[in-house]
Amino acid sequence: MTVDTGTALMTAAPAIELWYRMPSISDGGKPDERALVIAAQRGSSEAFAALVRLHQRRAYAVCRGIVVTHEDAEDAVQEGFLHAYRALDRFLPDQPFGAWLYRIMANASLDLVRRRKVRDADELPETVALPFRDPGESDELRRRLSQSLTKLTDRQRAVIVLHDVEGFTHGEIGGMLGIPEGTARSDLHHARAALRRMLKDVRSDL
Amino acid sequence: MTDLRLYSNEDDDVVRGLRALYAAPEGDSYWNELESRIMARVAGVELGWWSELDRWMRPAMAAAAVLLLAAGVAMFRAHEAETEMAYDSMLSSPTVPVATAIRPALQDDREAIIRFLFGHK
Repeated sequence: MTVDTGTALMTAAPAIELWYRMPSISDGGKPDERALVIAAQRGSSEAFAALVRLHQRRAYAVCRGIVVTHEDAEDAVQEGFLHAYRALDRFLPDQPFGAWLYRIMANASLDLVRRRKVRDADELPETVALPFRDPGESDELRRRLSQSLTKLTDRQRAVIVLHDVEGFTHGEIGGMLGIPEGTARSDLHHARAALRRMLKDVRSDL
Repeated sequence: MTDLRLYSNEDDDVVRGLRALYAAPEGDSYWNELESRIMARVAGVELGWWSELDRWMRPAMAAAAVLLLAAGVAMFRAHEAETEMAYDSMLSSPTVPVATAIRPALQDDREAIIRFLFGHK
């Protein structure tokens, strides 16, 4: 059978273009992150949306560990992804994208915390700390836990939540918050001790 | 390592409390909506003047390079034509023998020197 080479190439061109544009899918059906990053760097908003889908839950967890409320975490996630989008051309695809992104998320959250502090200092000089707004906050322990968490330093609270709730390692937390691993370890120790101290009485009542 | 567990067993309720406080929203609809909001903001960034400028940067650079090249070629050709015209005008002008044109002047100089050396006679 003879095949006209020109016709064959013309038929194959859209498929080749599609293959070039769309990131590959690895065995588990999960998009290849590196390919997504490269496609996003070339201007594919679909690829960036796929990266958002892949990382938004973890990104939210990072932000939630640092800011005080769910609403602030949402804001920080959006800011973080915007920063990441703007800085995408400076990212080297061979590096782990998640670590780079979560550091951006942590920075966006820390910025938000700083801005909130300035605003609160201007508006509410008598307020010590705003309580958590959690609809599921029903029992005494949880209420006291919320109060106790506001008494930790921002960094201690971030470290304990990122480590004990989200499961990040000391090294990862240090990388995200821009502190040495040993400092993250020590913050965790102090945060746990402080929580134990503050919750001692309520726990003995339970 | 000691940090593998947050507290001792009797503190598990504190861990549970922490996890409940920091639980991420459940349900795909929430995450789909958040993704939409993020992408809407990203699209807003794309529409900004700086990105528009960035989009036009490469074509503008290419156009500038082409213009520079064209200007260079034009200048080279103009210079070439000018040189050619100069040669043409020189070659087409009436020929004067070099020796006859220079000699009288040289001769005058020589005579002036001799007159000077031998006392203005």
